[in-house]
Amino acid sequence: MSKYDVPKKFDYKNINLLKQFITETGKIIPARVTGISASNQRKVTRYIKIARFLALIPYTDMHK
Amino acid sequence: MKKYEAVIILNPNLSTKVDTFLKDFEKLLGESSFNIIKVEDIGRRQLSYSINNHNKGHYLIFNIEGDSIKLIDIENKIKYNESIIRHLFIAVKEHSGEDSQLLIDSKNKSSESDDDKGKFAKEKVNTEKVKEPIKEELEEKSVHADEGDKKDE
Repeated sequence: MSKYDVPKKFDYKNINLLKQFITETGKIIPARVTGISASNQRKVTRYIKIARFLALIPYTDMHK
Repeated sequence: MKKYEAVIILNPNLSTKVDTFLKDFEKLLGESSFNIIKVEDIGRRQLSYSINNHNKGHYLIFNIEGDSIKLIDIENKIKYNESIIRHLFIAVKEHSGEDSQLLIDSKNKSSESDDDKGKFAKEKVNTEKVKEPIKEELEEKSVHADEGDKKDE
């Protein structure tokens, strides 16, 4: 049902994977839209936040 | 003993001095009785947003093993190192042992940049395609209109 690829192991370094779960503006897509399991959604959220801190993915599209 | 992953983003202007930094850092880790299991030199990368007016950063990833108390000392020493623009230590259950996706991406960089160009080209093509059908429709309409005129005649 879900159109998202959910791997066995999530990783903050796998940017292409995490980019599936953020909008164009950099927001995290909610679980009701992604349709992945709650535990996977928490993992995705955690790793997106780490990747943001490491400047691998943007917090927003408003960065100058 | 705990397992950690350390990500360090170096000042891109000091990219040539990475080897000396690596030696110093390994020495620092060694002094705190940390084992270095793996070092990944990912190289210069575009940052998603500017950090301290830097738009690029030199990424290094370490797989290390050691005591949590000594990690605080290391972090305190790193904090005042101006060549580091950002650092992060993450506790992990297991080291994957495989090359990280970032390293793989950086290795494929040359081919990837070509792919990016290809993507842009495709996007352009798509927009053109979107535009074209509208024109065709208009043309068809005009043709129909012409036919209608002919029939009237």
